[in-house]
Amino acid sequence: MSFVIGVILLLTFFGLAYYCIKGHNLMIGFLVITIIWTALPLIGTLFVDQTFLEANKVLQFSDMKGLVKILNGIYQSAPEGWGTTLVNVCWGAWFGRVLMDTGIASTLIRKTVELGGDKPIITIALLNIVTAIIFTSMTGAGPVIAIGVIVLPILFSLGVPKPIALFSFMGSVAAGIYLNPVNFAQYRAFFIKPEEMPDFTLGWYASKWGYAAFGIMLVVTTVFTGIYLTRNKARHAWAAQSRTPQAAQKDAPLYTLILPVVPVVLNIAFNFSVIGGFVIAGFLALFLCGRMTGTFKENCQLVNKLYYDGVVDTAPLVGFLLTLPMFNAVAKYASPYFSVVIGDIMPRSEIVVCIVFALLLGMGLFRGPMTLVGCGAATLGVLSNVASFSVPFLYAVFAIPTITVNIGSCITQSWVAWGLAYSKVESKDFLKLSIPNAYVTGILQYAAIIIFLGGLGAEWFIK
Amino acid sequence: MGSMDREEFKRLMKPIADGLFGKQQGPRYEKPHYTVRPLNEMLKELAKVETVDYYRYAFSRDPINGKFTDEQRKSWAKEAVKCGKEYAQKIRQQYSTSEIQTIAKKLGLDVRYPDFPNKTDRVLFAEFHEPNIVEIYMDAMKKADKFLKDESISAIMKGHTKVSKIILAHEVFHYVEEKYSKEIFTQTEKTRLWSIGPVHNDSKVIAISEIAAMAFAEEINELAFSPYILDVLMVYGYDPEEASGLYEEICGYFDKEGLQA
Repeated sequence: MSFVIGVILLLTFFGLAYYCIKGHNLMIGFLVITIIWTALPLIGTLFVDQTFLEANKVLQFSDMKGLVKILNGIYQSAPEGWGTTLVNVCWGAWFGRVLMDTGIASTLIRKTVELGGDKPIITIALLNIVTAIIFTSMTGAGPVIAIGVIVLPILFSLGVPKPIALFSFMGSVAAGIYLNPVNFAQYRAFFIKPEEMPDFTLGWYASKWGYAAFGIMLVVTTVFTGIYLTRNKARHAWAAQSRTPQAAQKDAPLYTLILPVVPVVLNIAFNFSVIGGFVIAGFLALFLCGRMTGTFKENCQLVNKLYYDGVVDTAPLVGFLLTLPMFNAVAKYASPYFSVVIGDIMPRSEIVVCIVFALLLGMGLFRGPMTLVGCGAATLGVLSNVASFSVPFLYAVFAIPTITVNIGSCITQSWVAWGLAYSKVESKDFLKLSIPNAYVTGILQYAAIIIFLGGLGAEWFIK
Repeated sequence: MGSMDREEFKRLMKPIADGLFGKQQGPRYEKPHYTVRPLNEMLKELAKVETVDYYRYAFSRDPINGKFTDEQRKSWAKEAVKCGKEYAQKIRQQYSTSEIQTIAKKLGLDVRYPDFPNKTDRVLFAEFHEPNIVEIYMDAMKKADKFLKDESISAIMKGHTKVSKIILAHEVFHYVEEKYSKEIFTQTEKTRLWSIGPVHNDSKVIAISEIAAMAFAEEINELAFSPYILDVLMVYGYDPEEASGLYEEICGYFDKEGLQA
């Protein structure tokens, strides 16, 4: 009977993958699958044989009290546990809004372009570096759009074909995400509770693998852009468009351009609080750029308005992010059934996992079964419950399809979808450029995992 | 379901189905808003301004605009207009015609006229691809040509009824400047962006090339107005509000004694 339930669960997993790929509502999809994955394994205990139950303690509950405890764990404690992550997301969004409002972000871009001049490849390389650095501290669709409306028209005016400009910009945004403390906290919560494994910090992760992942994505994206540009001869376009408010913004003082990296540097170097870093750098930006020259009341309103706008930027994701932990929690009740069906074929060696994931990178596209911000959360549930891997290893294994493939290369990523509409690039033209880049970047990043995160000691495993 | 018919049932179920199976909603790109102005009034005002006086507008689209002083911009614009007109005369003399389509053919240019509809607030008129391809997007041209049938607009344009000829002339100039790249002002004039010891980066200035292309199109087509007015005319075909915003922005670049925004 456990085999039959396992097969049904597996079918629902593929159903979820199909639902995600079709672009339906992720929050509702995960809520429905959570309910199914709660009902089937728990009701299934009434029908499975005794030896199966005895071998899987997680499925043992004697009375109503035990059942309610399990249900509370899934539907109450799990999303509550994500509260700490969500707080980081909100403050990060506020800081992103501060960098936009003070003109620091747009000034950084303009000054970078002034170094490159009329040579598109130099300008793109410099812009990619600066964009990636900016997105180590900014995240969310709002900031990407705010920077995109400055960067993309500049690249177009330099004669860079639109698909190449868009691909290059989105790739460098994703490179920055590899070192972004907000995204790190967000994805870390898929694997362990925030208070677990205190040594698994952004600083540790960055020095072990994060810098390598960041560098690989940045360099490969820029090299691919260079190759694509040599194939496409330069062009002059006559186009007209009214200027965006961001493009017309006044320059911020030069010494404030260092502020975007302050929270990340503080966090990596001293393990200093991420939110503390956002507050310090955010208020410094507001004061140094002359945005706090109004009355006390006006200044308070400004800070509050930026916070409001920032939270709105992240709002579309919040429902999904707070449903996912329910799903993560329920996966452990489904995993004994999965083990019966696919336990023998799941990879157990780190090298095999890396090779399989590298081959299947394309399944991180369209919210498929590899990306954590899609159906990959289910794959993680299955993989981590049928085999034993260290947390940093698993984190990196899933970070690649999530960041390199989904965030950097897929048209289902919210800001990529915006970029396609804004620059009027066909989806297929973007994917033709982004998929080869995702594969080359991903394979190199998996090689880096084997070198830097392979064979970690017992302290990196969940007890 | 009783008396409820199938259509009504479908209508009632739609919000639930949309909630479950509706597509993920990403952030939507929202255009800025402006007060719509009549096209003929805007063109009438813009037609009074000479190409050289559009220099601030032209430079505002240059990625390295922040490096220059207003004096530099103005002086380059004068040189660029001179250069564009000189080359127009030179080409006209060389090929003994002002007919831009004939000139393009004699220069060996491959001129294409795809339809390419513009759906965003960035309206694309034409592109020149090195070495010799010019693409003129007819969707924008057709929309603009319709406006030229209006008497008041036709009067401002002094009877020039084919926008595509002006656009083609602009793109032909980009080909001409590639051909004469060793001597033409738009290609030889450079600005030093930075230098560290012997290492330096000198860059051409895109705005110079664009102003010269406008002057070239103006001269070869014997226009009585600056081709820059086409920016507003053609955007109007897609979005009168966006065109009005562009007009306001352009007027903001003129000296105080110039036009009134």
